[in-house]
Amino acid sequence: MNRVARWVDERTGLSGPVRDFLNYPIPQYVHKNFLYTLGGLTLIALILQVVTGILLVFYYDPSVEGAYNSVDYITYILPLGWLVRGVHHYGSSAMVILVVLHMLRTYYFSAYKKPREINWLTGVLLLFLVLAFGFTGYLLPWDQKGFWATKVGVEIAGSVPIFGTQLMALMRGGQDLGQVTLTRFYATHIMLLPAVVGLLVVAHIFQLRYHGMAPPITAHAKDNAKKFVPFFPHWVLTDTVAGLGLLALLVYLSWANRAPLEFPADPTSSNYIPRPEWYFLFYFQLLKYFPGALEPVATVAIPLFLFGSMILLPFIDRSEERRPWHKPVTTLVSIFYIVVILIFTILGTAGSA
Amino acid sequence: MTTANLPELPPEKGSWDEKAVSRRGLLEAAFGVLASAGVLAVAIPGARFLVGNALKPAKPQWVEIGSIDALPADQVTRATFTTSATDAWRNVTKRGTVYVYSDDDGASYVALDGTCTHLGCMVHWRAEENHFACPCHTAAFTRTGDVISGPPPKPLRRLPVKVENGVLFAEI
Repeated sequence: MNRVARWVDERTGLSGPVRDFLNYPIPQYVHKNFLYTLGGLTLIALILQVVTGILLVFYYDPSVEGAYNSVDYITYILPLGWLVRGVHHYGSSAMVILVVLHMLRTYYFSAYKKPREINWLTGVLLLFLVLAFGFTGYLLPWDQKGFWATKVGVEIAGSVPIFGTQLMALMRGGQDLGQVTLTRFYATHIMLLPAVVGLLVVAHIFQLRYHGMAPPITAHAKDNAKKFVPFFPHWVLTDTVAGLGLLALLVYLSWANRAPLEFPADPTSSNYIPRPEWYFLFYFQLLKYFPGALEPVATVAIPLFLFGSMILLPFIDRSEERRPWHKPVTTLVSIFYIVVILIFTILGTAGSA
Repeated sequence: MTTANLPELPPEKGSWDEKAVSRRGLLEAAFGVLASAGVLAVAIPGARFLVGNALKPAKPQWVEIGSIDALPADQVTRATFTTSATDAWRNVTKRGTVYVYSDDDGASYVALDGTCTHLGCMVHWRAEENHFACPCHTAAFTRTGDVISGPPPKPLRRLPVKVENGVLFAEI
């Protein structure tokens, strides 16, 4: 074995970089705080999405006639189809939750500050791409939920002033929601987004390694800042345990409640109540309060402001202070956003009941 | 001099070719031009390919709504139509919902597209309240399609209609 390893190493030169990667020193204040596992756990959730996604492609039929029946077949007839689709379905929600929690951890620990601004930016882009994954993904079963949520989603793009109509036509690939739309969403979901997300994840992890973990913010953590453990096995083991926990949860959810599949898409149904996935519900609800000419406020101005402020955050908040209890503005702003999103989500949920 | 920005090579390995390196600036510029040309040569047709026929306006099409004998003249009636259409490379059956009524006992008909003008959800007729309701953001429209309440920016789309041999057609 050693001879084989040496032979490979002489030809690839991989042992050095691999050893450095695995022996990377992790400070004890990081290793001992479970909040720091959120990034790794997000990566594990992403890997689960990639694996289950690749499996689903083997059976999914990306046509308006075949999509629904293929998903129905996967869910109810194919051996373990319920499991693969279930983990993919619930895993998408897990991705959104984990990315947001990971981001909140970064936010409250002020880990976006100099010199880690670019890592914060790749993270914001990744959040956006995870939402894009969700949006392009739930059209694919071509059921009522996906069809109508996409119709609304595309119309939101249509309300952009000046070039909204063209943008909407580009997203749909035509004047109606049809085969070209499904193909576009499918191609984006399984080719474009994975490629871009893969590159950004590599950049994100490389940046993390380049700068190391952000400095500790509590006195207790500072006491643990000078002691280190190697990335492998200590840190990897923690994430593995967390990842297995996540997998167990996703398997349980898939088993307890089959991934939902509504009736087949019907463009004529006038009694169906369109609702997006839960993580877009607050936004769907928000659209109710901007009538007529004010519509672009909700469809353009607010999302631009939200994403714009996330992108600008590390360039606006440049103080040395990293403790959230000494930074009332950023802390209160974040709490305001969280409360608003929660209230609108609850209102949206109540509205669909 | 020209090798000033390059790492020094170990003597046993050899040395930089000063003459070749002196052309570095020119070669960098040439690379910039050629690579940009290459990127554009891929990106421009690629973008056009992605746009495809998406921006082609839809051709208006007359669809059969139904026999006027079957339409109660004074009530708003929900009618679904089916028509064959081409969806890119597929021949499909296109379906939709319109609402039809007559205010002059069948002498003329009004057909409204059931698509809510806010975000494209399908409205339904509430006879007892005499209005159209959208289930997405609780918008309401009058019988003639005007906005009563809620976020829609404009009235429901009124479709051109014609009656031929006792059959009502609408242009969608």
